[in-house]
Amino acid sequence: MAAFLNIVTVGLLLGGIYGLVSMGLNVIFGVIRIVNFAQGELVMLGMYGAYMSWALLGMDPYLSVLIVVPGLFVLGMILQRFVLQPLQNEPFMQIFATFGLLMFFQNLVLGITGGTGYSVRSDIASEVIRIGPVNLTLSRLIVLATVIVVALGMNWFVKYTMPGKAVRAVTQDRRAARLMGINVEWVFMLTFGAGAALAGMAGVLLSPIYTLSPQIGSNFILAAFAVVVLGGLGSVWGAFIGGFVIGLVEAFSGYYFDPALKHAIWFLIFIAVLLVRPGGLFGIAGAEEMGLREQD
Amino acid sequence: MIGTTRRTFVAAVIAAIAAGGTAAAQDDPIRIGAINPYSGQLALYGTEVTRGYELAADQLNANGGLLGSQVEVVRGNAASPQEGIAVVERLAGRDDVDAFIGTYLSAVSGAASEAALNYNKLYWDTNAIAAGLTERGLPNFVRSGPYATTFADASVELVIDALAQELGKDPSELRVWLEHEESVYGTSISERQEAQFEDAGVEVVGVGSHDYRSIDLTDSVLRAKDADPDVFIQTGYVPDGNLLLRTMRDQDFDPNAIVFVGTGDTAETLQAMGEKGVEGLLVVSYPRPGISEEFGPGSGAYLEAYREKYGSDPVAPQGMAAYVGFQIMAEAVEKAGSFDPAEVTAILGEFDEPQGTYATGFGARFDENKQNVLAYPTVIQWQGGEPVTVFPEEAAGGSKMTGFGG
Repeated sequence: MAAFLNIVTVGLLLGGIYGLVSMGLNVIFGVIRIVNFAQGELVMLGMYGAYMSWALLGMDPYLSVLIVVPGLFVLGMILQRFVLQPLQNEPFMQIFATFGLLMFFQNLVLGITGGTGYSVRSDIASEVIRIGPVNLTLSRLIVLATVIVVALGMNWFVKYTMPGKAVRAVTQDRRAARLMGINVEWVFMLTFGAGAALAGMAGVLLSPIYTLSPQIGSNFILAAFAVVVLGGLGSVWGAFIGGFVIGLVEAFSGYYFDPALKHAIWFLIFIAVLLVRPGGLFGIAGAEEMGLREQD
Repeated sequence: MIGTTRRTFVAAVIAAIAAGGTAAAQDDPIRIGAINPYSGQLALYGTEVTRGYELAADQLNANGGLLGSQVEVVRGNAASPQEGIAVVERLAGRDDVDAFIGTYLSAVSGAASEAALNYNKLYWDTNAIAAGLTERGLPNFVRSGPYATTFADASVELVIDALAQELGKDPSELRVWLEHEESVYGTSISERQEAQFEDAGVEVVGVGSHDYRSIDLTDSVLRAKDADPDVFIQTGYVPDGNLLLRTMRDQDFDPNAIVFVGTGDTAETLQAMGEKGVEGLLVVSYPRPGISEEFGPGSGAYLEAYREKYGSDPVAPQGMAAYVGFQIMAEAVEKAGSFDPAEVTAILGEFDEPQGTYATGFGARFDENKQNVLAYPTVIQWQGGEPVTVFPEEAAGGSKMTGFGG
């Protein structure tokens, strides 16, 4: 029973990590209909942002959220305006462009760091809360709490605020939204900025857990794609629930079967879900194709 | 005595660097193609290995060169097998190198050495680890450094000859968990360890494997914790090693001894875990410049020459094994009187240098596969934030393992 409780906890905490990394990817896909291959690299930039704040300014990595998140928001807006917007009518080219950004950011960081694996340390992050047989690491609890707050916050934003309604309008029908006076390009810039900021936040919160490398983003991104597709492309709650599904499956299969098989097992479940529900658990059927449809 | 030799050597190296202009002006220097990753994720280590070659070449040049000519190290960047083949073709074709030396990556070594055979060039390996490289019996391939089997054997000897006593147990009472990353590197070492432990009557309570890019290793750690081992042995890379150490700490998994094989002895691990976090951790790795002078004569001089030329301490211990490997290659070429692979490999049987001959403590004796069988890794322990060589005893020079209360 103790082991079972422990594994449930491990799975939920891991689900929080997956959910947080997937949120930004999902926002960008849901609204702009771009599969952003560089999302993992934005997470990586967030991690290095936390490292630099820690190493150069002596800040606790968690405090660097105040610098990194706005920084990545601006970077995201710039990328949307100057890289993706000019390719707006060529969805395939947009995918290639995000792939180019992936290579660019990886090699940029590689060039600067020379491949040394950096780590940040935070006193808060290494705290462990012990409840009976279960050990909860504070760094992972913070991630879990954040993903819940972010999911609730995003839900509130798109449902109850005017800019949120504009985002929903653009998501549903770009042309009609434009006719209603919504500045579609501006909404896209804000959305990409928000997606990048979420990636930055994930990077900052994950930095005390991992050893940083320029390629670390790709470790997360495969799982993030699985989470987003499983949960339903473009659905806020899809990424949230999908993260927990993948996290729990991974923890259980790793502990009870074999850690070497855990990815094989969650991909099996992933394929099985898609066979039954092609749109994902919370997605709308056909959403996965919209990126390639004529929009404007 | 040692002090004088070291000063002379350092002076010679400095003189050689200063005389670099004259050396280059000489006709037809000997060119050695150094195949390593100089860009990409592993650039740091590739460069470190090649620095070892450059220091050895400087030293040779200061003493009259090789076969009467000055030696020049030409870098060939390869981070993948395909790049390895391409760079061999370029260096053999355009730069007309006399031989190849390498390699930080086993996969690159395998492909590049086969490409070198097409040009009938010697491929001298100092740092690749995969056992299969020498087992292929490629006629132009020689390895002077330790490999998977010796790394596995060194970790087993550490447990049986030293740790058992430190822990106050007979080896037959010891319980060992073997953890490894799941590629051929970790798997081959782990399989060898398991077989050796079983032969020695040590109980292997479990074997676990994981992807070194894993997001989470709590499942692996909990499985090992359930098995309650005395000794936890991990073979892998830096990212998974650091994540394992952090997860073990978070899950209160504190076996009597933790042994890492291959990585864990650099600043990358110290920074991740802090001084307290790595205290007591044992790491089986390449001999460090800090080993005793009796065990590795010239290791101190290597360190001084390194600092002199590169203005910092070595980043990783691989460089000194590369330096020694280059020296053994030069000796073989001098004996053979040429770089021809057939002639060089024919005289390998003449080598019979005992352990403790070179700066790394290596000896030189080659088996039928042209593998140096007297090249062993050593073991460090993190003590007060410093990696201290503690095993084998001859290398430790009086430094002892601490923290086991045995």
